[in-house]
Amino acid sequence: MSKEITDHRFHVTRRHFLGKLSLGLGSAALGSLLIPDLFSKSEPATAALGLSHFAPKAKRIIYLFQNGAPSQLESFDYKPMLNKMAGQELPASIRMGQRLTGMTAGQAKFPMVGSYFKFNQYGNSGAWISELFPHISKVADDICFVKSMHTEAINHDPALTFMQTGAQQGNRPSMGSWLSYGLGSENKNLPAFCVLLSRGRGNGQGVYSKLWTNGFLDSVHQGVQLSSSEERVLYLKDPEGRDRADRRNMLDKLAELNDINYKEFGDPEVQARVQQYEMAYRMQTAVPEITDLSKEPDSIVKMYGADCLVPGTYAANCLLARKLSEAGVRFIQLYHQGWDQHGNLVGEMPLQAQDTDRATAALLMDLKQRGLLDETLIIWGSEFGRTNYCQGDLSEKNYGRDHHPRAYTMWMAGGGVKAGTTYGETDEFGYNILRDPVHVNDFHATVLHLMGLNHEQLTYKHLGRYYRLTDVAGHVVPGLIA
Amino acid sequence: MQRLINVSKNFALFILFLSTFLFAFSDRIVLPVWLQVAGRLHPLILHLPIGIIVLTGILVLLRSQFEAEQFKKLITYSLLITALTASITVLFGLLLSLNGDYTADSLQQHKISGLIIGWLSYFALVLYQSSFDLKILKHSIILGLFLLLIFVGHTGAVLTHGENFVFEPLQDSEPVPDKENSPLYELAVMPVLEKKCFACHNESKAKGKLIMASVDKFKRGGENGLAFISGNPDSSRMIQYIHLPLEHDDHMPPDGKAQLTQFEISLLEAWIKSGADFTKKLAEFSLTDTLVSLANRAIESKSPSVEAEYNFKSASASVLEKLNTPFRTVVPLHLKSPALKADFFVSEYFKVEALRELNQINEQLVGLNLSKMPVVDDDLKLLADFKNLETLNLNFTNLTGAGISNLAKCENLVSVSLVGTKVTSESLKPLLTLPNLNTLYLWNTRISDTEKNKLQQAYPKINFLNTQFKDESMVALSIPNLVNEGVVNTDDKIELKHTMPGVTIRYTTDGTKPDSVNAKIYEQPFSINETVKLKAIACKTGWYCSPIFESSIYLKGTKPEHVKLLTSPHQKYPGSGAISLTDGTKGVIEEFKSPDWLGYTDTDFEAVFDYGSKPPTLSKVVVSYGDHMSQYIFPPVEIQVWGGSQNNFKLLATQKIPVAKAYNLPLVNFVTVSWEKAVYNTYKVIVKPNSKLPEWHGGKGQKGWVFVDEVLFY
Repeated sequence: MSKEITDHRFHVTRRHFLGKLSLGLGSAALGSLLIPDLFSKSEPATAALGLSHFAPKAKRIIYLFQNGAPSQLESFDYKPMLNKMAGQELPASIRMGQRLTGMTAGQAKFPMVGSYFKFNQYGNSGAWISELFPHISKVADDICFVKSMHTEAINHDPALTFMQTGAQQGNRPSMGSWLSYGLGSENKNLPAFCVLLSRGRGNGQGVYSKLWTNGFLDSVHQGVQLSSSEERVLYLKDPEGRDRADRRNMLDKLAELNDINYKEFGDPEVQARVQQYEMAYRMQTAVPEITDLSKEPDSIVKMYGADCLVPGTYAANCLLARKLSEAGVRFIQLYHQGWDQHGNLVGEMPLQAQDTDRATAALLMDLKQRGLLDETLIIWGSEFGRTNYCQGDLSEKNYGRDHHPRAYTMWMAGGGVKAGTTYGETDEFGYNILRDPVHVNDFHATVLHLMGLNHEQLTYKHLGRYYRLTDVAGHVVPGLIA
Repeated sequence: MQRLINVSKNFALFILFLSTFLFAFSDRIVLPVWLQVAGRLHPLILHLPIGIIVLTGILVLLRSQFEAEQFKKLITYSLLITALTASITVLFGLLLSLNGDYTADSLQQHKISGLIIGWLSYFALVLYQSSFDLKILKHSIILGLFLLLIFVGHTGAVLTHGENFVFEPLQDSEPVPDKENSPLYELAVMPVLEKKCFACHNESKAKGKLIMASVDKFKRGGENGLAFISGNPDSSRMIQYIHLPLEHDDHMPPDGKAQLTQFEISLLEAWIKSGADFTKKLAEFSLTDTLVSLANRAIESKSPSVEAEYNFKSASASVLEKLNTPFRTVVPLHLKSPALKADFFVSEYFKVEALRELNQINEQLVGLNLSKMPVVDDDLKLLADFKNLETLNLNFTNLTGAGISNLAKCENLVSVSLVGTKVTSESLKPLLTLPNLNTLYLWNTRISDTEKNKLQQAYPKINFLNTQFKDESMVALSIPNLVNEGVVNTDDKIELKHTMPGVTIRYTTDGTKPDSVNAKIYEQPFSINETVKLKAIACKTGWYCSPIFESSIYLKGTKPEHVKLLTSPHQKYPGSGAISLTDGTKGVIEEFKSPDWLGYTDTDFEAVFDYGSKPPTLSKVVVSYGDHMSQYIFPPVEIQVWGGSQNNFKLLATQKIPVAKAYNLPLVNFVTVSWEKAVYNTYKVIVKPNSKLPEWHGGKGQKGWVFVDEVLFY
């Protein structure tokens, strides 16, 4: 029987065949009307590299990462209701069974706690800022606060990795690497992506080089960490007993050899390598010129605070970031550790604020007085926020707060952001977002947009598919853009 | 033959159905590129049905000249070709409309009437083929076709050539807009909306139920609510949609349609901001309203909508390639921009020649950054021809101001930065009359605040920016630092340093607070003869003294032959075992996972220090520990020292350490325990962790940790 069926199926007349064919072609044509990309190669539009896709609002970024998650409730998200209801249990209707960290999941009670520190309104914009940040208060009108950030991870490492690379697991290129890949460097004598670390006096969380990795992108896009030691960029100095003339000599001879090799094999990587050597040679002049902070006048030192002359402090990194940015470094990533106040928030948070407040405000003012704030995007923020309820024991004088990814505050200033505004809002308990949520992917999309890049077109093909910083999500938030 | 006629007839019918479908669902269809080609053939083939319909009409008029049979054949063929060409023309036309950018009124009419012609020609064919003898009907259909043809032709011509194309030469010149009596809305705002919005938001085609073409309905908004909120462009839906990224579904006008120019957006925003008034006349607005200047510009320029970002042409790629060196970058503002910006880097390599070479792109250059380059006044002559230059950064160059007059011809300058130069108020004069200049950065120049304020008053349109920073309060110095690290010998010099020139460092080694008057001044490196607690401050006139620097300086102890741990540290913090305790390397606060630290929580720290067969005379021990209370790492509560040999120990001393009343700053600290001088082969040291954290601590009642990095005997 099956043979007959098979035979029957082979028995197709010419008329039959043509009839079916026309139907098939017709439906394919109709299909292509409804889905225009049906016959085009299904690859995303990848724009050319090295230039903005459209007119950028900012040329460079300085990202002041406050690592460990500073409490939004003691800094910029003013919630007097929490003071009124201090000690009372967080209503279940607000928490809605949201998952907690292992650190407070076992807690029998979730008593709400309000800010120990007073809030006031500042600037023409009337932004609410806590007394811990008296200097940032002075530049409130340059700032666009985003009160409605939210993220997916609840622990530091995945949240931090997500914030920096758009994925929780690591191995993806960092934000700075994507920008270096998309826009290239302005100043060919310095890396396009620099990283500066500092540590505060509060409970800290680690940062690792995976946060400034190039991931699957070319390694020239990796973040270069500038250390606080005398040798800011490792392996840049000439060996002892050798001077620059020797180096020049060596490079010239090496280039001759490489040229022979290139003529023989024609491998462009050979020339790329020669270029890299030349850049390192130029960096030998450019880096010391920029990292020398000793020539800054007293007024600048006062502005940033005296710590700015102590290498490795947040203030010194802010000053250095200004110098690097002024010299055309595309992306400068600062990490300041010590914001993880699970306990002793009242003790530690003022120290953290003291270490960062003055220099942060100084950076904004310094860029502004040089005419650079308009073209530099400043980002201040963290991997997530902190809970509105107390972790551990609640007393009149002290308390702690756990991790809270559902709603937290970040802010931006400078190039292309709506200065003197607040975007988004949390409920009166500071627990959930009331309106205009901004997801980490949206934030990335917006930052790329400010830099003149379409986040959907900045792609890289790896392991058989196209990757983006925002991967498969993210929308530009027009409310943040001036 | 009959068969061919039938096939053609059915084909025409199929095309007509397809066209009707396209017409009905045009909103949901996006056109693939290859079909756009077919659409663009519409203007070519439309001439076929026109000619043949006219021919058919003539045939009908001349029917008496033919035999009846002949005439029927003739008219059938002619109508068949009409139906075929008309239906294809309709189809192509609809395809064209899907991607064209036409005003909707005439487009809609053109589409409908075209479609009717298609169907009518088909029915005429059917009718003439049939045996019905309805002459009047038959002939009136042909007449109808002819009349419709005129209408379709007309609407089509309006689409391609614009309204009134034919009779335009006969008319008087274009009516001049009546600036006096027309509302500003009609003069300046409506033309923009008409061009970019009305096509989809009119009475007949109201996407999102929004009709902008009628003032009343425009005010009423669409299905999502109001289109604008008077006075508040930022919260106005239409402005928000305009600012969405192009690829966003809600972006307006949709991707593929003609986009608003920056100028048009500013115009719309300014109009909403000033109250979104539909009736107010231009003269009734306050002159300072930005809307007025924008509106004037819109009225004056005949077609503000087509103005490009820049209308000069791009520089050649080879020129750009030549201009880019490691020390000079010249790049377009973005992918599609002909405008260029140039940056110079590394002052050491700057040559004036490099600036002169930019003359090749003097037309395209809109941004120039010479910050920190050794540019002198004379060099500004080279900038005189950069007529499109908008931003110029001359920060920290060697200008004195004399050269600024060379910039007088750079009429498009918008912002000039002169920070850190020696320019004077007088030398700015040539800049102040530039028509577009809006910002001058003047911090750190020879221009005083009073001069600046004078300038600001005289030229209110320009922003004269200085600094926001007010140096009114004193600031504390940063803390001094210890150069030495780890454990020192008696002949080692202890060295203090501070990063700021001109400070005085004062210090104590007895645990008391150093003050700015009495404490010992640090003049040169000093040595110690016991483990001490160093406290130091830095002072300088004009600044507050620094906070106190605190550190323990450990003197090298008498090293035992052998050390053994009696209790194991917690498995997470094993350090390098017993060897960590006497290796002379100090642990660092925060890095408790390093090999230097041994951490205990469940058990006491117990270790035996063996001095072998020739034991020294000893009288004290220093136990160095970590203090980081927020991480549950506390000072020990008790330390016991036992002396003796293998199994026979005698308690030499016990020291209890009172529990702190509040959090200490994280620090590596030490406890000294002393006893009467004696000689023992072996010492046992017991360090007890805080097993119940105090009331005030976040983890009260829980077990604390003790971390030990060095144990030193003297």
